[in-house]
Amino acid sequence: MHQTLVIAKQTFKESVRNKILYIFIAFGLVTIFCSAFMPAVSGEKIKIVESVCLRSITFFGMLAAILLASSSIPSDIEDKVLWTITTKPVSQYSFILGKVTGFVYIIGLLVLILGSASYALIKVVDSLQKDTEHQGLTARQMFEPAHLKITGKSAKKSGNIHWIEGEKGCASSWSFTGLESKNTSDKIVIESNMFVESRNNRKKTIPVNVKVVNHFTGESHRETVTVANKKPSFLRWSNETLGGGKNLTIVMTPQHSGDFLGIRPDSLRLFLGNKSFEYNFLKGLIVISAQFILMVVIATLGSTFFSLPVNILFCLFIFFCGNITDFMRDISTVITIAGAHEHDHEHGISAVVKKPSTFVTLLNSILTAPLTTLSYILPNFKKFNIGNYFIESINIPIKRIFASFVYMFLYIIFCLPISFIVFRKREFA
Amino acid sequence: MDKTLAIKTNNLTKVYRSFFGRKKVLALNKLNIEIKVGEIFGLLGPNGSGKTTTMKLLLGLIFPTEGNAFLLGKATNDIKTKSRIGFLPEESCFYRFLNADETLDFYGQLFNIPKKERKVRADSLIKLVGLEFARKRPLRQYSKGMLRRIGIAQALINDPDLIILDEPTSGLDPIGTKETKDIISELKKQGKTVLLCSHLLSDVQDICDRIAILDKGTLQVSGTIDNLLSHKDLVEMQLRNLSDETVEELKSFITERDGEIVSIRHPSNTLENLFLKIVQERRKSTDSVTHSQ
Ligand SMILES: Nc1ncnc2c1ncn2[C@@H]1O[C@H](COP(=O)(O)OP(=O)(O)OP(=O)(O)O)[C@@H](O)[C@H]1O
Ligand SMILES: [Mg+2]
Repeated sequence: MHQTLVIAKQTFKESVRNKILYIFIAFGLVTIFCSAFMPAVSGEKIKIVESVCLRSITFFGMLAAILLASSSIPSDIEDKVLWTITTKPVSQYSFILGKVTGFVYIIGLLVLILGSASYALIKVVDSLQKDTEHQGLTARQMFEPAHLKITGKSAKKSGNIHWIEGEKGCASSWSFTGLESKNTSDKIVIESNMFVESRNNRKKTIPVNVKVVNHFTGESHRETVTVANKKPSFLRWSNETLGGGKNLTIVMTPQHSGDFLGIRPDSLRLFLGNKSFEYNFLKGLIVISAQFILMVVIATLGSTFFSLPVNILFCLFIFFCGNITDFMRDISTVITIAGAHEHDHEHGISAVVKKPSTFVTLLNSILTAPLTTLSYILPNFKKFNIGNYFIESINIPIKRIFASFVYMFLYIIFCLPISFIVFRKREFA
Repeated sequence: MDKTLAIKTNNLTKVYRSFFGRKKVLALNKLNIEIKVGEIFGLLGPNGSGKTTTMKLLLGLIFPTEGNAFLLGKATNDIKTKSRIGFLPEESCFYRFLNADETLDFYGQLFNIPKKERKVRADSLIKLVGLEFARKRPLRQYSKGMLRRIGIAQALINDPDLIILDEPTSGLDPIGTKETKDIISELKKQGKTVLLCSHLLSDVQDICDRIAILDKGTLQVSGTIDNLLSHKDLVEMQLRNLSDETVEELKSFITERDGEIVSIRHPSNTLENLFLKIVQERRKSTDSVTHSQ
């Protein structure tokens, strides 16, 4: 334990003395401050600053994690510093753990500095905007529906979209639980984002009946809203609708027959109350940092068997792929679909089609499985992307933070023991 | 396990393989040596004979292909015994951005030595290896010999019982060589065991109790210096103030007694002694000049 901390301190010192850390911090600060001068429509300026800040912290933090963590151990091996360290009473575990801890210190410092600079800048930009029509820095508390129920026989399902028609006795009902707000002047805001289709005419909007049911008080409110295709529409109620309870059920159905509402489980979101921006920003930084630690652990694993240049490439590759895992999965589905498609026509058209067909099936069998497997093995860095919460001023749910940490720990649990074993078996000739 | 043995190897063998497992190099072939506690043991051999390989095997930096070794009665991978061992590698391998003080402090921390004691030891070791003038300079700026000196200091930071030195005098000036030899002799007086290898045979002859000679990974001879070197049938005398006549008389006296004269010559000073004499005299005079100022 003691040795681990000594190595950690040493690793930290090294990055400070080599001035690499300063360079990352300096570049990060420059991009952060540049964001203040980016042209933007007045009301959105703060959003641009926020998202540039978060992106530059992510970018420079990731770059620092990759370059520092992937070069440190290999250069120790190359410079033979390990000869004088492993011949002291330092176990391989303490060494690796110390290195990882050192990288965590470094990243902590980087996030601390860039984070505070970003926060200061956001505050300044925000205060300059006070005079305009601007809601101020806040984090709206978001509630996702606990449950979605589709009633009525005539509802159709295609993909993950349920289609319900008006006047056919079908409805969608969402239940929200745990609604709470300290401030009684807070409004309940419901945001819906749905698909709309109408058989009657070519209009893009349809009237929809909305009923808000409070099972606690037994009361219900009715309202009609106009819903446009794939555009958010809002409903606002006063906090008193809750009447002391914590649950609400919202039932929606199109007003006329021939009008269709396409819904998904996440089509409806409910906002109630605000949390502080500061707290939300801190949570954002924590989620962002989790992916750096994940990268550090992977870089450490790589450095136990790769040489320095190979390891840097390896980490960049992982990072690149980790950002396109969705795309990789898509490729494999595209190939599969293409293959299936060719099969359909196999008998219909001439033998010419047959050739590409076998080729596609071959490609399919060669590529799909590895690509899909790879896309699941490689870390998906999208899981740590919290930029949208800030663009929409939404409080990051604790669930989300928890999920990103679980994800990070899974990689730690997988990578660290392998690093230990490889490092133990390794000769430092 | 014999308590009087500091190092013991049993058929220690190392075959280096290339990445694909081909192209083997037999670096060490069935080495059996026993080094007693309190002994200074010299490992000799031409370049590539397996001296460094032996030391790396002993320290667990590489693993034997066959056989095994024990340090202070424990297997080579025992973490605890490592706190009783000091090692000076063949090449200087330190964090180049640290200065001498920080380097010693870092290694001291790895041994879990309390802060105060670390400071005391580092001070005395830096004085011992003569680096006081450069203790705040980063090792990046050190010369080869200065790195060697900090290496020696680093090997002694934990007050080890067993010290393994791979070419301790390489790159050192004659004074440094002399001082290093003095340090090693001092260690012996404290009852420590030293295993060293060197190409400077005179150094080895001066300080080692026993030696072993390796060639191509195979042990050629081993034994005490006296046994290996003394010519029991020869006698050497050094005489002063003899006239040429006396020398002639002595010659005839010896031949009368059936003695054989192998050589008669005027001994020349060794270059080392000359160098030491000149430099030390100069240092003394400059010292007195600076003191008198
Ligand atoms: N990492 C390695 N991979 C392959 N072969 C090696 C390796 N290290 C040493 N060898 C080989 O092992 C043999 C012994 O090398 P070793 O370094 O032990 O020699 P040495 O006696 O220390 O020589 P020197 O006096 O030059 O320091 C040599 O033939 C060398 O080429
Ligand atoms: Mg050698």
